[in-house]
Amino acid sequence: MRLVTHNMLQCHVRGCNVNNYPLQLSEVEIEIQETEFNSQFLRSMIRKLEWSALINSAREIGITTLPEVLPDDFDEDFLRNIHRVLLETHIQQGKMTCPNCNHVYLVRDGIPNMLLNESET
Amino acid sequence: MSNKVVFDNEQISDVVKEQQYVHEVYQAIAPHFSQTRYKPWPLVELFLKELDIGSLGADIGCGNGKYLDVNKNVFTIGSDRSSKLIDICASREFESIVCDALNLPFRNECFDFIISIAVIHHFTTPERRIAAIEELFRIVKPGSLVLIYVWALEQDARRKFDKKHQDVIVPWVVPASKNDPDRKEEAIYQRYYHLFKKGELDNLILNTGKAQIIKTDYDKDNWYVVARKKSCNK
Repeated sequence: MRLVTHNMLQCHVRGCNVNNYPLQLSEVEIEIQETEFNSQFLRSMIRKLEWSALINSAREIGITTLPEVLPDDFDEDFLRNIHRVLLETHIQQGKMTCPNCNHVYLVRDGIPNMLLNESET
Repeated sequence: MSNKVVFDNEQISDVVKEQQYVHEVYQAIAPHFSQTRYKPWPLVELFLKELDIGSLGADIGCGNGKYLDVNKNVFTIGSDRSSKLIDICASREFESIVCDALNLPFRNECFDFIISIAVIHHFTTPERRIAAIEELFRIVKPGSLVLIYVWALEQDARRKFDKKHQDVIVPWVVPASKNDPDRKEEAIYQRYYHLFKKGELDNLILNTGKAQIIKTDYDKDNWYVVARKKSCNK
């Protein structure tokens, strides 16, 4: 799971509708897998993310290189860094905890399991 | 081939039906299913290739992930109820998650496009089919497109169905294989399908009040609809 995906995930336990995003990352294992750099793709995709959630989540997995505020102009260094953080950094193992109801979702072998028990849906 | 009617006499809940006739089947047939599902359908491929560069989308019910790498200029997250199918996606290095299409773990209006290919026909009641469609329009952005394919009752090529019965089980046969110790003998699994009549999918989508239909047609044993989420309606 990459941070792009995590940026879209929220808790979906029945009745948990507020403050359920972003899921807090802990006990993570990271793997870097290099992939082709595509600046045009990145320039467009960055605007689709919740930036403040992203910098928080990145911090939770030890990445402190993202600026607090999304710059208006993206230079090459910024895009290369974003490429590394968003597309090459894979969370292989870890826990995602809802900040509201404390439900824990697990990431195993790079796959988040978001299934709930019947009583939770 | 004639279709066998199921469920009329069975006193099991909708949830258990889907568990036995859909979820457990896909868990069991995942490797063989994946071997037979490698070629993208041309119209789905075209839909994905026409997306703007940098688009962010989801394939809800992605199976083995055959649509996840069709367009390298978009980012597609695959999701499926079957962990065995998602294991296959992960082994192919596709971004994918395990979740239930009735209760998607995504934020409201966070995606630029959604595809749902051969998924909604596995829900056993109108209410559950509607709920699954509602979820797709919840997570897509206003003004963005959703592509849905479902099996058609009227299909006339590889299979023919009795037009009187829309709720059917269809066998999936895993043939014996000399090279696979898990497949010493042929195994037959029964999958549940709701076969859609012409216009039925369109009505379910329009009844949500959340979308307008851009295109609707028949393709490869399926009815499909491209729908755009309305901008004024949350």
